[in-house]
Formats: sequence, structure tokens, C-alpha cells
Amino acid sequence: MATGPVGVATSNSACATATGSSRSPLRRLTRFEFNNSVRDLLGDQTEPARAFPSEELGNGFGNDADTQSVSSLLAEQYSKVAEGIALRATETPAALAKLDPCTMSLTAATEVSCASTILSKLSARAYRRPVLPAESEELLALFSAARTEAEFAVALSTPIEAILQAPDFLYRIELGERNSSGRLRPSGSEMATRLSFLFWGTMPDATLQAAADSGELSSAAGVLLHAQRMLDDPRARSVTRFFFDNLLPIASLPQLVRDPMMYPSWTPEIGALMHEETQSFIEHEIWNGSGTWPGMLTAPYTFVNDALAKYYGLPPVQGAQFQKVAVDPSQRLGLLTQGALMAGTTTSNFTNPVIRGAFVAKHLMCRPLRLPSDPNILAMVKPPDPYSGKTARERYSAHSRDAVCATCHQQMDPIGLTFESFDAVGHFRTTENGVTIDTSGGLPGTPINVQNALELVKAVAAEEETQACFVSHWLDFAYGRTLKQSDASDACLKEQLFGAFKASGYNVKQLLLDLTQTDAFLYLPSP
Amino acid sequence: MSRSQPTRRTFLRGATGVAIALPWLDFFHGAKARAQATPATTAQRFVAVFNPGGTVLEKWRPTGTEDAPVLSPILAPLEPIKQKLLILDGLDMKSAIGGIHEEGIVALLSGTPLSEAHRRYASGPSVDQVIADKLKKPRRSMELAIRWATGKSHGLINSNNCLNFENAPGFKPIPPRIDPVEIWNDLFKTQGATQTNEARARLVRKRSVLDFLDRRYATLAAQLGAEDRAKLEQHLTKIREIERTLEELPATTSCKAPELIDTSDYNPHTGLNSSDDGSVRDNSTDRAIPKVGMLMMDMLVMALACDMTAVCTLQWTDTEAKHTFPWLNLSEHHHYYQHDGGFRPAECQKICTWYSEMNLYLLQAMAAVDMGGHTLLDESVVFFGSELQEPPSHKCTNMPFLLAGNGGGLRTGRWLRFNNQPHNNLLVSLLNLFGDDRSTFGDPKYCTGPLTGLT
Repeated sequence: MATGPVGVATSNSACATATGSSRSPLRRLTRFEFNNSVRDLLGDQTEPARAFPSEELGNGFGNDADTQSVSSLLAEQYSKVAEGIALRATETPAALAKLDPCTMSLTAATEVSCASTILSKLSARAYRRPVLPAESEELLALFSAARTEAEFAVALSTPIEAILQAPDFLYRIELGERNSSGRLRPSGSEMATRLSFLFWGTMPDATLQAAADSGELSSAAGVLLHAQRMLDDPRARSVTRFFFDNLLPIASLPQLVRDPMMYPSWTPEIGALMHEETQSFIEHEIWNGSGTWPGMLTAPYTFVNDALAKYYGLPPVQGAQFQKVAVDPSQRLGLLTQGALMAGTTTSNFTNPVIRGAFVAKHLMCRPLRLPSDPNILAMVKPPDPYSGKTARERYSAHSRDAVCATCHQQMDPIGLTFESFDAVGHFRTTENGVTIDTSGGLPGTPINVQNALELVKAVAAEEETQACFVSHWLDFAYGRTLKQSDASDACLKEQLFGAFKASGYNVKQLLLDLTQTDAFLYLPSP
Repeated sequence: MSRSQPTRRTFLRGATGVAIALPWLDFFHGAKARAQATPATTAQRFVAVFNPGGTVLEKWRPTGTEDAPVLSPILAPLEPIKQKLLILDGLDMKSAIGGIHEEGIVALLSGTPLSEAHRRYASGPSVDQVIADKLKKPRRSMELAIRWATGKSHGLINSNNCLNFENAPGFKPIPPRIDPVEIWNDLFKTQGATQTNEARARLVRKRSVLDFLDRRYATLAAQLGAEDRAKLEQHLTKIREIERTLEELPATTSCKAPELIDTSDYNPHTGLNSSDDGSVRDNSTDRAIPKVGMLMMDMLVMALACDMTAVCTLQWTDTEAKHTFPWLNLSEHHHYYQHDGGFRPAECQKICTWYSEMNLYLLQAMAAVDMGGHTLLDESVVFFGSELQEPPSHKCTNMPFLLAGNGGGLRTGRWLRFNNQPHNNLLVSLLNLFGDDRSTFGDPKYCTGPLTGLT
């Protein structure tokens, strides 16, 4: 369990040379966060942010504050989407009543005060902070001006449209306040916003706002207490789902099509079930299982429902509900051997050990892999003819025979070849084209040689590099940045979080809590 | 210079081989002359078209002479409009440093190498944005894309699908508009709507909201540190652009909407579910590409013709183009034929040739619009480019570039050979055609001055 703020610098650490705190650039709500916020603010479930242009890929999670830019298109869509949300929020008597019961008995004498009540309440929630009287008056003036030409509901939609495009709603403004020792930290409301978007991907709820107002979020311990509460709330799962959908190649499985002649059992519906298998498994592991990242990588069970159990040839289970089942320990072990990962890392109807190996090396171990920049080498880069050999090892043998190819491919292929015991649709296999598959390989950069995926998975899970990489992804996602190893304060932050992660036995929930206990989370950089 | 007269009713041959009517073009023939009888000396409109995946050079390069080029198989579909083409041969895209698609698309209009300091985007503006700032229309520019972000960006913006960069510090990538129905609604739905009291009242409300936002962004920006302030200020400039669009849109009667065909089988957001390698297919959307492309071109031409904007970019997919071509009976994706599946020149040629048909559609539509004694194409410069030349090697020498139109006095109907000059020379020449007389553009290391012989 956490024991106060994370990280005490040791003399030989990156933190010894770090000066100043990490950057905290202005963050804008992502489409995910915008949709969640208007759902919570107005009950609008239409996911209207779908109409916004895509975020930049940036840190891989689309929430890198340094990449956020406003195009003409985005500004136009903000305007259009806000108009639509505001109209939906005011278009029926029932919708108006939800804003405030005062709308049910409107008279000429009461309507201004009714509008004022609604706007004060709504703007404070939308801006995630107390609203000044002058701000409320300005919003009310928008209503009054519109009211001269339009009915009450339409007039009321005008300031709502404005609120939804205000920088106070779209951006996470952090002006900060000084604590007793003069250090700049997020105000109570700003801290509530940090916590809420980190754990729930949305604006703070009433409980959290009340905690902010009563000063409960002004200490590291107070922040931790609320972080624990929020992490145990079911709402936290939408954020972990978002995180793993972006970290793992599983989000598009429900659309994955394979050649029906080669894989008659595959349908995109199976892909959707595999996606749910992996997400259910991850949720269970975090909240009810080992709770650790290496535990997830080596868990001897998975989650299936009736259709998926049948697909895998597992003992039958009843119903569409996903349930925990043991996997055959001679075939599968942990997250990486699940159907979703095996199908998701296969790029065609034929397995490709390069892509599987690169996924593990690059995304799970954060090893830098780059395409060759020499156009002459690049011209040679092409996958072998899928019919050229009986097994993938045979097809990709040029990678080890040719010295130029080998310099890069020895970083990936020995990992990927161990997963050849899984076909392009996630089925376990021992032969390909009638030939027994050789699944031997190794973990590049280490002396470890393995006979199969089970041994490889254990080796990957045992590497500190894997754990540090996991920390690094969470840091990027949680802080909305791409942390740089070359930046001393970023490197220090990574080191501190990794130290805490290691001390917790690589516990994922603890890592998420520890993310709230760093100086970068608790304080703002000095202006 | 030829002055093609618009016909009473224009039929264009689409990719499906079906003749397509553009009845909205009728309107122009009755319209009063709004523009000058002859094009101004500087070019008035700029269109950039991105055709992905390079070419097959020996099937692209013309034969014949400078003034009487014989079109190659890939360019052959453009024969009907040959007199409006200026084929630019032998330019090297030297500012595309490195061997992958990203460097090419980033350099194509910016003339800058991919910059780590700019998060692997351009380190300068793209030429279209500089032109947009010069021509200053209500909508500065419009970036349209078809079947966009098909591969490894999973529907997000990244350097392999971004072509346009802001003409402002930071040079942020500009996301294209991808939803044809939404574009149609934005451009044409409200045309004429300001006639009703209700619509007028709505406009007044919109303005009051924009005023409010203008004040709030400005006030808050002033309270923030430089870096964060710049973000809100950028947002504010875009809000002001919307304000201007509301104020200055041309009289509503001067535009007539192209027919909004049914595109319900086309999912513009399908790229969000894409996989790195094109293994996720959306056959329905792929099949709709030709008709959606033609609708996009119809809208682009009309937006220019009724002066909503003067600068458009049309991006046919992202660089790696991981969509299939069912109408060409090509069931693998473009990148597969380029090199994922080993270079397949016959299939690549087929795809490039089809792009020529689409490019013809655009040019003929522009040539059919009477701007009062001359055509839209006469006053425009259209630039067709790609992110590389040779698909398997990603080589960027001898780029397959085309210009079309007579804006700025461009002398067309010719084939010019440039002997490996850097393509930044072309970019600066484009600016010159619009009356911007600078002598270098993009990274100056890769610019030796404007091309000669274009006009």
C-alpha cells in the first residue's frame, strides 16, 4: 500500500540531476472525454464528439496535450455539436424539467430567475469550478437577448451552446493556488478534475466536487483516499478499457475479416467475443485476480462464454455471460497467448512472426525499432510468398541467413516465432501444412532461449524492462504527454514510478494510485 | 491558350463507365458575369490533389516533344483535357528525407523534411495555406479526403496521412474533412435559409455565442503562460474565422448545390477501426469510393465556383492506402501492390490509370464552369502529386507531378523536363503564380529558385 508521496531521490538516480518539475501543458478534452462529460452534464448519450476530427496519434492514446491543435474544422464542429446538444437538452418539457423543476411552472415573472438558476448550476458543473457572478450574468444576458426573438427553450439553449464551447469546458484550465509553503498546486476543483479524468474519463461528480470544496483534496493523503474510492468504482473500468484498447492490437477485432475458405470458423462476431474475453480478463486480473502486470502476462486462465468456449474447443460453458475458465497449461499462458492477441497481431491470412515479435519488443518492452532508412534495403522489404514454405520459420529464413536482414530481425523474429503455435485466428496448432512447428526462440538482448510461447511469456514477464515499459505507457496516458527520457524531470518521474511499481510487486491498481502521488500530479510547475 | 466553352449539359464518364450528369452546372450558363471577362494576371484559385502511392514511371512518362507530348498509358485518360495540362517531369522531392511514405506526404506541399522538433510533421507551412492567406476568402481553405486513415494510424491524425500544415508558428497538421454528407450540409444546406425569420434569428443567436466565446478566449488566454496561451489564441483565430464566414458568405442565390447522392453505404469513419496492415476490411465503403470521390469533387468545384473559398485540397486516402479497389477487381489493398505483397507493377498501373480518370473528372468539371467569359479552370492552378515515385523503393526522384489550369498565365499543353531540380522550386513557383514573389520556399537547402518556363 502507498506510504505517502512517491519517490525519494537516491544519489545515482535520474532525479539527482532533475531540476524543476515536469511540464503540465494545457489539456483539451478528447472525444472520449467530451462524450462522457456531456453524458454526465446533460444526460446526452448520443456520443456527439464522433463528429470531431480525429485526435493526433501522438503518445498512442490520442491525448497528448502537445499535439492538440484547433483546425477550422474542429472549431466548426464544436459549434455545430454544441448547438445540437443544447437543442436536445431543451427541446421537450421533460428535458427542461431535468435541467430544473422551475421550468414546469414558468411565468413571465419567473422565467428569468429560472434561467438564471439553470445556468448558474450548469456552468459550475461544466466549468468544473465555482462560477463568478459576472460570468453568470454574461450567460444570462445571452438568454435574455435571444428571448426577444425566440421562445424560452430556444433562448435557453443559446447560453448552453456557449458553455459547451467555452475554454472553461473544453480545456482543463489550471491556474493553481499557493499552498502554505508558497508552492503552486492545483486548486481543489482542479485536483478533482485531474482525478476524475484520470480514473473515470469524465468531469467530477457531486461527491468529488464536494470533497474539493471542503478542502479534502489539498493534501497528498486526501488525494489518495479519493483515488482509492474512485478506482473501486465501476466507472474506472471505462478508462482501463480505453487504455488497453489503445495499448493492445485488439480494438478492431470486431471488424476483422479472414478468408472464409481458410478459416471457416472465423467471423467478426468471434473477433468481438475475443475482444471481450481479453477485456474481461484484464478487469478480473486488476480487481479480483493477481492484480499485477506480470500476473496478467502469465495467468493460467481466461474468460469465455458459450460461443467462444466452443470456438476454442474448451469444455462447454453455459450462456452468453463471460466466465472464468482454466486454459490448457500445455497450450496457453496469460494475456499474450489469448486469441485476441494472436489474431490481432496477424496481418493477413498468414501468421507473421515479425509483426508479433515487433509488437512485444516495441509496445510491451518499449524497445526502439525503426524501419531501415536506406531505400535500397527498404526496396527488399517484403513478406515472403505465403506459399513459399511449409512453415513460417521456413518462409522467414532469409532473415537469419542474410546478415543485413538479421541485424534488425534478430530483435523481433526470435520472439515472434515462438507464437507460431497459434494460427491467424487464434487457434492453437502444432503443425502447419503437415509439418511439426518448431516454436523455439528467445528473448533478444538476453541469454534466454525458449522452446515455446509459454516459456517466452514467462521470460517477458520476468524482465524489468517490461514492467518499466508498462509504467511508461501509463504515465504518458495519465499525464496526457509523451514523456521523454532525454528530459531529466521526465526521466526522474519514470524512475520514481517504476520504483514504486516494483515495490508493490508490480500491482496495477497501486500504480494507478501512485500516479496521483507524484509531484507532477500534486503540484503545478512554477510559472 | 484554349477557352473551352461550357456545354449546355455536361456529361462526364466516371470510373464505373456510367455517364454522370452534372445538372447543377446548367445554372452557370444563365448567371451574370461576376468575374472579369479574362482571368486576372495572377492565379485566383488553387487546388492540390494527392494521388497516393507514386506511379510506374515507364508507364507514366510521356513521349513526343515538349509542345506535343504523347500521353503514356497512365496519363492517357487525360487526353480530352491535354491542352490544359502541364506535365512536370524530372523533379526530385529532395526535401523528403528518409525512405518511407511519411516523409513524402509531409514534404509534398511544405517542402520541409519530417521534423522531430515538430513531432514528425512539417517544420513550415504547406504552400496551399500560404496561398489561402493571400487570397483571403470567407473560408480560408477546404481540405477534403476520401477513404482517409486506412491503416496504422487507426483513424487518428499522424504523419502518414497529413498533407496540409497551418501557416502559423507550430505549423500544426490540418485534419481533412472526411464526411461527404456533413460537407454538403455545411456548404449547401443553409444556402438560402437566411430568408426566413427563424433562420435570421438563429444567425443572430450564433453571432451572440461567437461574441461571447471571442471575449472569453481572449480573457482567459491573457491569464495563462505563453505555451498555453498560444493554444487558446489559436482556437480564438478559428472562432473568428467562423464569425467571418457568417458575415461574409456570398449572396445566397449565387450557389446551387450539387446533387447529394446516396452515400449511406460509405462509412467515412471506418478508418477508426483500421488495422496496421489493412487486414480489417470495409468492402461496402471501398466500393463506394468512386462515387464519393466524384461527389467530393462536385462539392469542391462548386465551393470554388461560388467563391466560398479559393483553396482546396483533395486527398485520395492516406499514404499507405490500405483500402481495396473492388471496381477495378483488385481485392488487395494499394500498399499490398506497392510492396507489402512485393511490387506488382501491373496492378499499380491500373490504380494510377484510374486516378487519371478521376483527375479528368475534376478538370472537366472545372472547365465546364463559366466564370464570366472564362472558365474556373482558366483562372486556377491545380497541382497533382504523390508522396513518392517508385512504390517498392519509396524513391522520390522523377516525381510524377502534373499542373493544370491557366491561372497566373500557366502555359499548358506541354511536357517540361527539369533534370532533377528540387521540387521546392515548384512550390515557390506556385506561390509566384499567385503574385507572391518570394524566391525560395520550404527548407532552403532544397530550393535553388523558381522553375523557369512555366508561363
